[in-house]
Amino acid sequence: MEKNILEIKNITKNYGDLRALDDFGFSINRGEIIGLLGPNGAGKTSLISILSGTLKDFSGSVSFLGEDLFKNRKLKNNMGIVPQDMAFYDDLNAIDNLMFWGGLYDISKKKLKERAIDLLKIVQLNDRAKEPIKNFSGGMKRRLNIAIGLIHEPELILLDEPTVGIDVQAKVSILEIIKDLGKNGISVIFTTHQLSEVEEICSRIIIMDKGKKLVEGTLKELIDIVGEKEIVEIKGEFSIKSMNDLKKNIEFAEVIAIKENYISLSFKNTDKIPDMMEMFFKNKIKVSDLKIKSPNLETVFLKFTGRSIRD
Amino acid sequence: MKRIIHIALIDLKIMVSDKIFFFWTLIFPLIFIFIFGNIYKDDNVKAKAELVIVNKDVGKFGKYFEKKIESPDILIKSLKKEPVDYNRLLILPKDFSEKIKSRKPQQLLFKKNSNANVKAATQIEIKIIQGITKTITELLINSKSDDFFDNKIDFKDIINIKTINLNENSIKMPSGFDHVIPGILVQFIMMMVLVYGGIVVMMDRQMGRLTRILFSSTSIPELWAGKFLGRLLMGLLQAFILVFIGILFFNLNLGNNILAFLIILFFSMAIASLSILFGSVFRKEDLIVGMSVMSANIFAALGGCWWPIEFVPQTFKTIGMISPAYWAMDGFHKIIFFNKSLSDITLNIIVLLIYTLIFTILSIKFFKIKE
Repeated sequence: MEKNILEIKNITKNYGDLRALDDFGFSINRGEIIGLLGPNGAGKTSLISILSGTLKDFSGSVSFLGEDLFKNRKLKNNMGIVPQDMAFYDDLNAIDNLMFWGGLYDISKKKLKERAIDLLKIVQLNDRAKEPIKNFSGGMKRRLNIAIGLIHEPELILLDEPTVGIDVQAKVSILEIIKDLGKNGISVIFTTHQLSEVEEICSRIIIMDKGKKLVEGTLKELIDIVGEKEIVEIKGEFSIKSMNDLKKNIEFAEVIAIKENYISLSFKNTDKIPDMMEMFFKNKIKVSDLKIKSPNLETVFLKFTGRSIRD
Repeated sequence: MKRIIHIALIDLKIMVSDKIFFFWTLIFPLIFIFIFGNIYKDDNVKAKAELVIVNKDVGKFGKYFEKKIESPDILIKSLKKEPVDYNRLLILPKDFSEKIKSRKPQQLLFKKNSNANVKAATQIEIKIIQGITKTITELLINSKSDDFFDNKIDFKDIINIKTINLNENSIKMPSGFDHVIPGILVQFIMMMVLVYGGIVVMMDRQMGRLTRILFSSTSIPELWAGKFLGRLLMGLLQAFILVFIGILFFNLNLGNNILAFLIILFFSMAIASLSILFGSVFRKEDLIVGMSVMSANIFAALGGCWWPIEFVPQTFKTIGMISPAYWAMDGFHKIIFFNKSLSDITLNIIVLLIYTLIFTILSIKFFKIKE
């Protein structure tokens, strides 16, 4: 088994009465891509801020490359962080930006320039290297944002929603870049709202909510938790209360999540679906839509958080 | 230190790469220099004072006396007859030499046109008096000689008379381009550093660039120092441009260049800190521009950038002391117009350092990484 390059233990962070992170911890191996999934307010940004050193006053420990991250400032030279903000200089060109951000690390100018040129090829911006960033599309800016995080050749990179607000083509391109990072031995922590992205590129997934780690594992491990059951999603006209009352009588399926006008259940045997519909009919519950799906990450997410990731 | 310089240089680069940078740092100040420079131009240009001499003397002393009045600052026109039109006229009578030889008192007629320049007339009167004094002194030295022009030639021109104005300040009013260029320089250091420097700090914070810099091993004190140095360099660059143009096209004389640099340096330091404070406190670009332009203009007016502070009533001058521009301009005037030394501008430097300290404390207190 590969050695952990980052190990987070028992991190707790409070904002007044609000607990942003609650005894949170995980570790990451070299070349591993971890997807950090959680709805808004789950604590993902707080975690990244703690790892970046911009958020203080928390308890717990972070070991990076075998050392305490916060006792040796130079360790940050081995960590790349790509924030959700397009945090670079719009009036300057891509090369100048890479030279500036790379210049904050102890790298010679010559090496930095070579690295900048290589990175622009990787993120497919080499033909726009000398153009002001303000002329770039959203997808191009996102790719540059990643390139900046990689300029100093980090061993670990944290990507905070790197595909937010861009078109499908740009998204595919960014996911390819991230996959290649893992192949090249760079560890990646990747936060997103897009379950399909996590399913596609992550070797391990952590689902978190309200500052707590709810579950962790590979995609297969997580789906196995739900089991080899069929998932039924029902939409209609009903309240959460009415469905909760009805829930007691549902013996042939496991309720995964209940929301206003929505319920999802897992069935071992889909032959029981007509029985359930009959029960709904008797209780005057109007059903407008019914979908039968195989379990996926969304099902897992719903099971553990009780809500959809977009809520 | 390397990281501090690196952060400073990117801010300077952003300022210089702005398309309208040269308008704000060069063209706009030049318009001000041109306007204010011409308002004060008369006092600055050393025009030659004109003197018409009608020499009726039949002896040699008339010509000799004319030579005694000669000066690079005076244009002498020798005529045989009294002209109708003149600014200043000196008449040497027919018996001028004769009366000198016989040691008899005599009166010289000096006429002035009432519309002519008073300062030039004073300058010529001084030269005439100097000429009379020199001639009399040389006559005394050669008193044993029968013929002044044949003997003891060596003693002639041995006397040099220098007129010293005891109340120098009342005559020497800072004026011309030597006053205007430092004034505009001080005003535009404030304008450029506060506007550009403030906006960049605000944008850095709002776009998450300050946070991103801290993702590296850069510390917050290093980040602040980089921002401070960047704004200091902005101020020095603005000063360099105007001093260069001033020397090249307006014959600018800063007196003592090292002392002038010290004033620019300490003044720019105070404004650099103020700029970070503006960028940290204000959240909108329009607000920073408005506050910067207003502060720069109020400080400039109070501090004597547009008119010599020596010229204004004492109350206004006292109020002006609250402006850092006052201490910079006062320092410039001391070294440019009054030939003062480092010890004379020490107070100015100390006050500018106090401003720097106050603005630095405030800017550190309000310096925010995130909104």
